[in-house]
Amino acid sequence: MRTRGLLLRWALRDLRRRWVLVTAIALVLALGTGTYAALLGTSDWRRASNDRSFELLRMHDVRVTLSEGLTAEAGTLAAAVGRIPQAAQVQAVAERLILPTLVDVSSAGQQVLVPGRIVGMPVDAPVDRLSVSSGQGLRAGDPAVVLERSFADYYDLPDAGTLRVAGDRSLSYAGHGQLPEYFAIAGGGGGAFTTEAGFGVVFAPLETAQALADAPGRVNEVVLRLASGADDGAVAAALQQELDAEQLASTAVVKGEEIVYRTLYEDIEGDAQFWRIIAGLLLAGAAFATFNLTTRVVESQRREIGVAMALGLPRRQLAIRPLALGVQISVLGVLLGIGVGVVTGRLFGGLFRTLLPLPVWEQPFPYATYLQAAALGFLLPLLGVAWPTWRAIRVEPVEAIRVGHLAARQVRFTPLLRRLALPGRSYSRMPLRNLVRTPRRTVLTSLGVGAAIATLVAVFGILDSFTGTLDDFDAEATRSAPDRVTVQFADVFPEDAPQVAAVTGAPQVGDAATTLLVDGTARSAGEEIPLAVSIRDLGGGLWRPTIDGGGADAARSGIVLSQVAARDLGVQPGDRIELDHPQRTAAGFTRATTTIVVGGIHPGPIRAVAYLDRSQAAAFGTSGLVNALEVTPAAGVSRDELTRALFAVPDVASVQAATAVTDSFRDALGAFTSVLGVAAAVTLLLALLIAFNATSIATDERARENATMFAFGLPRRAVVTMGVVENAFIGLLGTAVGLGLGYLFTRYTVEVQLHRTLPEFGMPASVSPTTVVVALALGVGAVALTPLVTLRSLGRMDIPATLRVVE
Amino acid sequence: MAQPVRDDAKPVVDASRAAAGTRVDLDGVSRRYRIGDVTVTALEQVDLHVDEAAFVVILGPSGSGKTTLLNLIGALDVATEGRVRVGGQDVTAASRSERARLRRHTVSFVFQSFNLFPGLTALENVQFGADVAGRAQARQTAESTLAGVGLAGRANHFPHQLSGGEQQRVAIARALATGNPVLLADEPTGELDFRTGVAILDLLRKQAEAGTTVLVVTHNREIARVADRVIELSSGHIVADGPPPGGRAPVSELHW
Ligand SMILES: Nc1ncnc2c1ncn2[C@@H]1O[C@H](COP(=O)(O)OP(=O)(O)O)[C@@H](O)[C@H]1O
Ligand SMILES: [Mg+2]
Repeated sequence: MRTRGLLLRWALRDLRRRWVLVTAIALVLALGTGTYAALLGTSDWRRASNDRSFELLRMHDVRVTLSEGLTAEAGTLAAAVGRIPQAAQVQAVAERLILPTLVDVSSAGQQVLVPGRIVGMPVDAPVDRLSVSSGQGLRAGDPAVVLERSFADYYDLPDAGTLRVAGDRSLSYAGHGQLPEYFAIAGGGGGAFTTEAGFGVVFAPLETAQALADAPGRVNEVVLRLASGADDGAVAAALQQELDAEQLASTAVVKGEEIVYRTLYEDIEGDAQFWRIIAGLLLAGAAFATFNLTTRVVESQRREIGVAMALGLPRRQLAIRPLALGVQISVLGVLLGIGVGVVTGRLFGGLFRTLLPLPVWEQPFPYATYLQAAALGFLLPLLGVAWPTWRAIRVEPVEAIRVGHLAARQVRFTPLLRRLALPGRSYSRMPLRNLVRTPRRTVLTSLGVGAAIATLVAVFGILDSFTGTLDDFDAEATRSAPDRVTVQFADVFPEDAPQVAAVTGAPQVGDAATTLLVDGTARSAGEEIPLAVSIRDLGGGLWRPTIDGGGADAARSGIVLSQVAARDLGVQPGDRIELDHPQRTAAGFTRATTTIVVGGIHPGPIRAVAYLDRSQAAAFGTSGLVNALEVTPAAGVSRDELTRALFAVPDVASVQAATAVTDSFRDALGAFTSVLGVAAAVTLLLALLIAFNATSIATDERARENATMFAFGLPRRAVVTMGVVENAFIGLLGTAVGLGLGYLFTRYTVEVQLHRTLPEFGMPASVSPTTVVVALALGVGAVALTPLVTLRSLGRMDIPATLRVVE
Repeated sequence: MAQPVRDDAKPVVDASRAAAGTRVDLDGVSRRYRIGDVTVTALEQVDLHVDEAAFVVILGPSGSGKTTLLNLIGALDVATEGRVRVGGQDVTAASRSERARLRRHTVSFVFQSFNLFPGLTALENVQFGADVAGRAQARQTAESTLAGVGLAGRANHFPHQLSGGEQQRVAIARALATGNPVLLADEPTGELDFRTGVAILDLLRKQAEAGTTVLVVTHNREIARVADRVIELSSGHIVADGPPPGGRAPVSELHW
C-alpha cells in the first residue's frame, strides 16, 4: 500500500532527525546487554579452561601427607597404597618430599625473601606433571630446579638463574613451571593465607630435595590418580589407616577438597552469582532507561498519531512509525551490544589470563549467552514503544489531538505541586515542579541511574570489605611488638634445643617468645572445621590476641576461637568442643581427641586461627615443645637485617613479619583494580548516557517552554541551570537508591556468597566513605552536569519558529 | 452588544517606568529566509515609527509578515536589512545577550496559544514576568496584576485548570507584570470566543491608555476598529497606515 511506503519514509526521516538519540539509547541498551553477555559468558570458558588444565597435568585424586616432621623411606608410601583394598582402582602413584623453606631470589634490583616450599618430585611424574612455561623442566641427573611460574612472573625473574633456600643453600633453576596444586596460591598451609608474591614454590628433582633436607631416600607425601568412578574418600581413609598402623600419622586431601581445585571451580560459581547480580543490575538500568526514553519519544508523537487517526488511517498502520523507532533501536542495540560484549569479553579474557595463568586457556564464544542477551536487547525497546503506542492508538482521535500543546498537559499531584512553593524566584521552582509533574519519567530515569550506581557500589563495596578486613587484621596484629617476626622451624624441638638457642641468642634478636603451632580439627554438633592452633603464653609474651568473652582467666583455661569458627561451630565462650590434634608419644605423633571448653573469641578474620595457653600444653603432650618463635629486632637492628640473619640459622623454615599475610593479600587485591576500573568506566558511561538521553528528550519536550522563557529574556545559563538542578535531583534520588541497593548487594555477596565459597575467611561487609563519595560524584555530579551539553543547541534554537509551532 | 467582562478594567500597571519618547523605529527593514535555492521575503523595505502610549493594530492576511514584524520588534529575530530600534536601542547591532536584556527590560509578549508554564500556578506564571524583569516585590506585583485581570481567586490554579480565556488573561498579566514599556501580542484573541476576546482587547486597550506601547497583530479587521492606528501589511509591504476608517470605536461596539 502506498501509505505504508510513506509511513516508512516518515520513520526514516525521524531517524535522520534523531539519530544521535537513537544511537545513544541503543548504546545504553548495548552496554547493558553486552556486558551481561560478556560477564555471564566467563563461566563457560573458565570452566573449560580449568578442566583442560587439570586434565593436561594429570591432577591427583588423593594426596596423603605425613604429619609435620615425619618422613618415610622411599617406597614405603607406595607400598602402603598397594596394600589397601581399593589398590586395583589406583592408576598411578608418585611419592614426593615436601619441605617448608625460605626462598631468596634477591638480585641487585630487588630484595625478594619469602617463605616457600620445595616440592621434591619424580622427574617424570605420572601424577601431577610439571608444565613448563619457560626455560627447561626437571631432568634426570640434573639437580637444577624449576621456579613456580606466577611467583617468577610477579618478580619478573629470568628463565634461569640461582636462588637460595633455608639453610643458606644455593640452587640453580632452569625454568618456570606449574603444578596443578599451585595454579593459584591460595594457602601456605596451616590456615595461613598468602599469594604468589608472598610464597615461593620450588619444584625440584626428588634427589635434590632429599639432599637439601639431609634426608637421602626419604619422602613425606604420596599422590594418587584413581580410575574413574572410584571412591576417593574411601581410598584416602584406607591409606591413612594403613599408614597409622606404621605409626605414620597423616592428613589426606581428595581432589575436590584441594583448596586450589575447589577455589578454581567454586570461584567460577561464586563469580557467576556475582556477575549475575552485576549483569542484572546493568541490564535493569539499561532497561529502565530504554523503556523510559522510547516511551517518551512515542508520547511526543501522540498528537500526530491522533491527527492521522482522525484522517482515518487504520490502527495497524498508525503503529508503523513508532514501532519503526523501536526496531531501529533494537537492531542498533543488538549490533552494538555484540560489539560491547566481544570487547568486554576480550578484556575479561585478558584479565583472567594474567590473574590466573593456567597452562591452557580456552575462550570459546559463548553463543547461548549472547543469544539470550540479544533477544533481551531486541525485545526491550519493542516493549518500550509497544506500550505507549498501544495507549496512543487505543484512544478516540479527539482525545489524541487534544494531547498536544493546545491544552496544557494534565498535571498530577496538584496539591503536592502547590506545596512545593519555595520562596524566591518563580523559576527556581520549575525544576522541582517538572519532576513532580511527570512522576513516572522521574522514577524511571532515577532507577536507571540508581541501577548503574548500585553496580558501582556493589563492586567497590566488595573491595572495601576486603580492605577493611585487612586493616582490622593489621591493627590487631600490630597491637604490640609491631616489628616482630615469626620464625618457623622445620621441625618440633624441645625449648632448650640448640636450634632455639641459636635464634634467641643471635645478636640481632631482642625479645623472644616461644610458640607451638599444631594442626587440628574442631567438632561440635556435627560441624567440623580445620584449625591451626597456636599454643603460646596468653598471659604475656610479645603479642596476644584481643579476646572477647569470658575474661583473661577463662581464655587461658580453654581454646580461643575466631569469630567465624565459633559461628560455624555454633558455639559461644563456655561451650565445649571436641578437638582432634596430634599427640606426642614415645614413637612420634599420633592423633588424639580432647574435649575442650571455648575460653574466648578473637577478632581475627582467618577462621582456622585458634589460640591455646601454654599451661594447657600438658593435655596435648606437648609441654616444652616449640616449632616457632616470635622475636623482635634488637635495638638498632632493622627487620630486614633480622630476617636475613635468621635465614642463615639451621632448621629455620620461614621468617615472616606480623603483617606479611595482609601485605601479600593487598598485592593480590591490587590486581582487581583493573576489573574495577572496567566496571567503573561502564557504569559512568551508562549513567552519563542515561542522563544525556533524559536531558535531550526533556529539552525536546520543553522546547516551547524554553522558547517562551527566552522570549521573556531569560538568559541561556538560567535555563541550563534549571536543567542542572532538575538533574541533580534525579541524580540524588538515583544515587540514594543506588547506594542502598549497592550496600545490600555488597552484604549479600560478602556475607552470603563469599562466605560460602571462602568459608576460611570471615569478612564483614563494609562500604567506605570514598566509595560513597565516588558514587555521589558520579551519580549526582555527572548526571547534574549533562544539561551543559544542551548549552549550544539552546543557543542555536530558532525561537520564533519554536513559538510558531501551532500559530 | 459587546460586554467587557469587567467594565471597570483599569490599567493594571502604570508605565511610568517607560521613559518619555519610548518608541519603535524601523528603517528600511527587510527579512528574508533562504530555504535551499529559494528566498522567501517575509518583509520588504518596511519603515515604521510608533510613539509611546499607542494602541497599534497590525492587520493583514495570513502570511503577510505580521508575526515576522512583531518578532523583529521583540528582538526575537534579526532583520536581514535595515535597522530596528526599540526604546532608542539598536536591535540590529545588538549581541545575543544584549537582545536578551532588551527582552527582559523593554518588551513583553502575549502569544496566541498562551504558552503558560504548565508547572507553575497562575500566580507564579505572572510572578515569572516580574522576576525576569528584575522587579522588586515581584510577588506583590504579581498578586495585584493578577487581580487586575480579574483572576485573584484563581491564583493557585494551574494552567490546565483554567479555561482558554482565563489562560490568556494570565498570559497578559504575565506580560504586564514585567512593567516593560512595549507589549507585543500576536493574535491574542485567535483561540478565544468573541466575548472573551473582547475582554482581552479591553485589557490591552486600557494598558495603552496608561502609557504602554501596545502592538496587537490580527487578521480580524473588526479588531482594528478600536486601535489608535492601523498598519496594514500585504506580502511583506505596508500598504496602509493611519487611524481606523471611521475613527476609533470603543471596545463595547465590537462585534464579529
Ligand atoms: N522560518 C521561516 N522560514 C521560511 N519562511 C518563513 C519563516 N517564517 C516565516 N516565513 C515566511 O514568511 C512569510 C511571513 O510569515 P509570517 O510573518 O508568519 O506571516 P503572518 O504572521 O502574517 O501570517 C510567510 O510567507 C512565511 O512562509
Ligand atoms: Mg502569524
